[in-house]
Amino acid sequence: MATTPQFLSSLKYGDSLSLIGISFCTAVICEAISWLLIYRTNSYKSLKSSIDKATKKLETMKTETNQSKITIKKSKTKKIDRVETSLKESSRDLSLFKFKSGAVVALVLFVVFGLLNSLFEGKVVAKLPFRPVRILTKMSHRGLQGDDSTDCAMPFLYLLCSISIRTNLQKFLGFSPPRGAGAGAGLFPMPDPKTN
Amino acid sequence: MKEGKSFKSNIQQQQQQLQQQQQQLHQNGHLPPFKFAKLLDPEASWDKDQLGDVLHWIRQVVALLCGLLWGAIPLVGGIWIVIFLIVSSGIIYGYYAMVLKVDEEDFGGHGALLQEGLFASITLFLLAWIVVYSLAHF
Repeated sequence: MATTPQFLSSLKYGDSLSLIGISFCTAVICEAISWLLIYRTNSYKSLKSSIDKATKKLETMKTETNQSKITIKKSKTKKIDRVETSLKESSRDLSLFKFKSGAVVALVLFVVFGLLNSLFEGKVVAKLPFRPVRILTKMSHRGLQGDDSTDCAMPFLYLLCSISIRTNLQKFLGFSPPRGAGAGAGLFPMPDPKTN
Repeated sequence: MKEGKSFKSNIQQQQQQLQQQQQQLHQNGHLPPFKFAKLLDPEASWDKDQLGDVLHWIRQVVALLCGLLWGAIPLVGGIWIVIFLIVSSGIIYGYYAMVLKVDEEDFGGHGALLQEGLFASITLFLLAWIVVYSLAHF
């Protein structure tokens, strides 16, 4: 146990490994909380199931419509519209449901970020192998001394860790949002041009 | 000619029925075992979700390998991010178009297939590249 910190401290940028470790643990904790509050509930399971069914049904109906060479019947178009509307409503309900429970996860992430900030403030945790664009420098060089834009601060590396680790962990555990709940769905859906 | 078209539509109907049966099995909690031989089989039929997942994981593996390699050599400069994007997208395109020979129209077009796992792969690539570069060369 004592050798691990010695090994890390011997590396100039050993803090980056600590950051990855903390990000991984945070991601596991966040997914555990999400599972407790969201994924194991019957509401989530039924919403996900209805989105999956509606998506598959929509794909089948659209495939059949594309295959048939005769004029598309009005009733068929209406059916497709009805399924699409039901899919959008289910996706919106799912987003709202996850939003309410996601506040707890957001709080955990906020606390962890504050902790990391206090641990790594003003420290260069890594060296960037490229010069970041000006917008990114605000995050990658935050709180650091000097003008060398290839010095990397904690927020940027933590952001990369969070996104890559959490996304893949969700995918691995099967907690990714269903594909049917994609563009046009969510809390603030775009107005449907067909109904206007 | 007409017989050929009706034969083709019969095949497609059978494929859709098979996909529906697979979906029922999935919902009942009894997943059919995923056979890795399917990854190289151009005759295999793919569910949209399954293909999307495979393309996602291939992108992550390519991102990790490129990040480790770029960081170890090391390759320095923003141009290597662009090269990574071209290489990983090329591999994904080559895989689904030439190895699996899927019709991209059945899966939402080239855009939908190429964007599977793209953002996560970019962040994973950057993370691996930065960390390996920092640890190995300083």
